[in-house]
Amino acid sequence: MLNAGDYQAIWLTLKLAGLTTLFLMLLAPPLAWWLSRSQAKVRPFIEAMVALPLVLPPTVLGFYLLIAFSPDHFLGQWWLELNGSALAFSFEGLVIASIIYSLPFAVQPLQSAFLHLDKSYLEVSATLGYGRFERLYRIIFPMLLPSFIIAAALSFAHTIGEFGVVLMIGGNIPGETQVLSILLFDHVESLQYMQAHKLSFILLAFSMSVLVIIYGFLQKRQQRVLNA
Amino acid sequence: MLKFNIKKTFNDEKSFHFKGDLNLPSGVCTIFGDSGAGKTTLLRCLMGLESFDGEVYFSHQEWCSSEKFVKIEKREIGAVFQEPRLFPHLNVKQNLKLAVAKVGKSPFTIDSLAKQLGFEDLLKHRVTQLSGGQKQRIAIARALLTNPQLLMMDEPLSSLDESSKKLLLPFIKRVSLQIPVIYITHSIKELFYLSDNMILINNGEVEAIGEPQNLFLNSKLSLAKFAHEGLVLNVLAKEFYEEDGLIEVMLKGKVEGQTLFISAEDTPKANKMQVRINSRDVIISLKPIVGSSLLNCLSAEVVSFSQKENQSMILTLKVDLQYIYARITLRSFNNLKLSVGSQVYAHVKTMSILN
Repeated sequence: MLNAGDYQAIWLTLKLAGLTTLFLMLLAPPLAWWLSRSQAKVRPFIEAMVALPLVLPPTVLGFYLLIAFSPDHFLGQWWLELNGSALAFSFEGLVIASIIYSLPFAVQPLQSAFLHLDKSYLEVSATLGYGRFERLYRIIFPMLLPSFIIAAALSFAHTIGEFGVVLMIGGNIPGETQVLSILLFDHVESLQYMQAHKLSFILLAFSMSVLVIIYGFLQKRQQRVLNA
Repeated sequence: MLKFNIKKTFNDEKSFHFKGDLNLPSGVCTIFGDSGAGKTTLLRCLMGLESFDGEVYFSHQEWCSSEKFVKIEKREIGAVFQEPRLFPHLNVKQNLKLAVAKVGKSPFTIDSLAKQLGFEDLLKHRVTQLSGGQKQRIAIARALLTNPQLLMMDEPLSSLDESSKKLLLPFIKRVSLQIPVIYITHSIKELFYLSDNMILINNGEVEAIGEPQNLFLNSKLSLAKFAHEGLVLNVLAKEFYEEDGLIEVMLKGKVEGQTLFISAEDTPKANKMQVRINSRDVIISLKPIVGSSLLNCLSAEVVSFSQKENQSMILTLKVDLQYIYARITLRSFNNLKLSVGSQVYAHVKTMSILN
């Protein structure tokens, strides 16, 4: 049904989305916490940067990243010296780009959860002997687990559906940067409609399932809140 | 020992200045005052939940000063708030385990507290399914499981039903024999039942610190308006007359104290009791009233009086070695030609048992 190239693209896509989600789940909680608490003057600026991928055409983001990744520029040069390979047209480059591209999907659900967190839970945690950071990862983050699941699911699903950014910086190398959405584009370009149908359906079914799961989760939480 | 000097100003320019120094060996010290007077603010400052200018010392530990601030998590305090604040994602036992996890040795265990507070059957329940009274019992257990050196409670019983209060008040009193307790309340009943000491708060300042019995007799304090509602007598149970449903009690302080009859459904549980006599329920006469339904007649001496704005007089009466208030009309006061030193009879219509 699917050929070897299709399977390779599916695996690569899952690997990219998995790694991106993992990094985002490390990066987003502290960032979201800071955004929900900080009164700093730079906050609106940082907040705008985080949200930028929501409104910017992915090709614009991809274009700037392509330039930043080139060995002529600081980031690309630093990476080249460190690893001996270029960042542009590499899987590592895709992971970095995906983290930036999916950042708002990880940060925003968490930021909203942190913002609505009742301060009294933090106070109680302190009186129970938990320090500043321990309070968060031992008590508050587990308490807000549903929001973390939503953030992770959205980041994962959004990375799977990435196209414009990958197109700009990926270079369509099978097994390295050729993800599902790019391969689908290839199939259509070469008039292989049957293959395109299959891949499209996989992406459609996957996205739909993720969203149903997320909204099911939200509904349960809403019921709990209404019942409490 | 608890010593504090706290200056706190809120954004809306409401400012508080609390200063106090009290011995805190064990027992309950209540913080009492009108709403808005600053009771909760004082407690939150003592806990370390609010920032302020000043100092707090607790039993030779410097909790807060211009150079030092000990974080709440390092203070070895137990805290119970008005709302239970249990973590909704955990069941009862998991909530309690979070408190146990941070202490080494503790005289309290989950099982023994569950037994004493009667929530053994609830350990596996989600906390969102519990009633307010059940939640607060678990919150109190949680605070004790941290093995605190000082237990701070902010009106923990104010939103609970009577049966929960009946269970928790004696429990808190028992706990206070081991751990000093600071307890905010606006209930006179709780105040008299629990307090060994009280901090009276008025208008953002500490107005007085002392034993409630003494502070209630000081008519210069803001407490007077509560006090005039009624004072508390310490009595000893003598006998229970089952057929009449009455307990005979004797006033404490004298070998042969005067006695009173109080209606009761059951034999008193403790020998020592406290009864509150509402100043409106006291009738004054110059001679004992005979041939009436009144059961209780105390011989008393008028030690002071003060006129209220509504043409009534509050008399302070010394009965044996204790005091009660009587509220009478100005007209009766003049008719009876009362003055300081007058010997009178105080007839008490009803009274309530506090414990």
